[in-house]
Amino acid sequence: MIIIGEKINGSIPVVAKAIEARDAEFIKNRAKLQTAANATFIDCCASVEQNEVETLKWMIDCIQEVTDTPISVDSPSVDAILETYQCCKKPGIINSVSMEGDKIDRIFPAIADSDWQVIALLCDDSGIPKSAADRLKVFDDIMAKAKQYGIAPSRIHIDPLVEMLCTSEDGIAMNVEVISSIRKQYPDIHITAAVSNISFNLPVRKLINLGFTVLAMNAGLDSAILDPTNKDMIGLIYATEALLGNDFYCMEYIGAYRDGLFSVQPK
Amino acid sequence: MSKINEVFEAVEKGKVKLVPGIVQAAIDAGDDPQEILNEGMIKAMDSVGAKFSTGEIFVPEMLIAARAMKGGVDVLKPHLAAGAAGAAGKVIIGTVAGDLHDIGKNLVAMMIESAGFEVIDLGVDVPKEKFIEAVEANPDTKIVACSALLTTTMPSLKETVAAINEASFRSNVKVMVGGAPITQEFADEIGADAYTVDAASAAKKAKELAA
Repeated sequence: MIIIGEKINGSIPVVAKAIEARDAEFIKNRAKLQTAANATFIDCCASVEQNEVETLKWMIDCIQEVTDTPISVDSPSVDAILETYQCCKKPGIINSVSMEGDKIDRIFPAIADSDWQVIALLCDDSGIPKSAADRLKVFDDIMAKAKQYGIAPSRIHIDPLVEMLCTSEDGIAMNVEVISSIRKQYPDIHITAAVSNISFNLPVRKLINLGFTVLAMNAGLDSAILDPTNKDMIGLIYATEALLGNDFYCMEYIGAYRDGLFSVQPK
Repeated sequence: MSKINEVFEAVEKGKVKLVPGIVQAAIDAGDDPQEILNEGMIKAMDSVGAKFSTGEIFVPEMLIAARAMKGGVDVLKPHLAAGAAGAAGKVIIGTVAGDLHDIGKNLVAMMIESAGFEVIDLGVDVPKEKFIEAVEANPDTKIVACSALLTTTMPSLKETVAAINEASFRSNVKVMVGGAPITQEFADEIGADAYTVDAASAAKKAKELAA
């Protein structure tokens, strides 16, 4: 499972405060914590109204000062992404593109000849499609662009867009349909999700998040944007990988336990 | 580090892919094949068994170590004197009549084989007559190991051990029993020579009994 650590995001109030105060130690500490928790990538989102480029660069520098873990450069602005991603010492993930506007036509050619990966959201100029069929149409459009610009499926993380469960009428059936269909078409592609979106406005959110992760992994999710220091979640992910037959002799599960990644520590 | 120590470490850590190459390197370096087996592989499995018994490692790690050893033994076999790979002796093993469980029995067979024995596995649901015939066909058998996983097949285990106890070869073999519901007390009651709680201690006990 690919884990994109979500803890450095200006939309989290304490992080926003640290960004505002340019509290480098705070950012560095969160980078270190997520590295220690084995995050595959560390997401970096400024979420500021002004000086986004300068802010992102400062954040990227803070992270790179304490870890080699590659960075997920997270911004709704294509300009901000294009002006900052090259500050990263090693290829990471662009977070994100979609079929909105000219995003994909600017990002894809920029990263075509690199090892950068990219998160692609299944939405377009008309918004977030309501049905699985319509989201899969957006997916087809994205893959046509990927082909055009020579981006291999293994460099793409499709985010089917998870919306809150509390207002859904069919649970996550639609997401499962989208994920399963994509997994079937492209065995090598990555499918990701911002897990905590599922549980907005419900009590004991972590239960919903855990259940969602298992079901989505069963459908074909192999990447997730979440808090890697949440040991219950990490333990559950390792357990699910083993249950799905992706963990030879449970060695990854046992290794993660031994490395102290679970909420129950080894004796 | 000597090549034999490398074999030991690779087997202990379950490096399935690396072990055959390291064993070959040890042979090429002129190490005695018997010593590679005894000091490299069997000793490593002793250590694995001990770590399993104390809860330091888990079943899959024991399985992988045994698989790693097997890969090494395949490379080693042509260089060993005939029969040297099972030099500790012959063990006949099976799950008793009426009982179809084989995971635990297989683990025990694997660990005993890894301890240097030649194992004849009769499988599951083995009638007592079949145990007797197997020993008669292999007069050099040192140990007969019988497994029962259910409380309902404990009587079957009792009958099997009773049949072996009456056989003419009885003084030549030792009888080991095991399985989830079995206890030392039950083993004593039915006249078995030994009971062990898990696969690792079964291998250890087999060595003691065959010594």
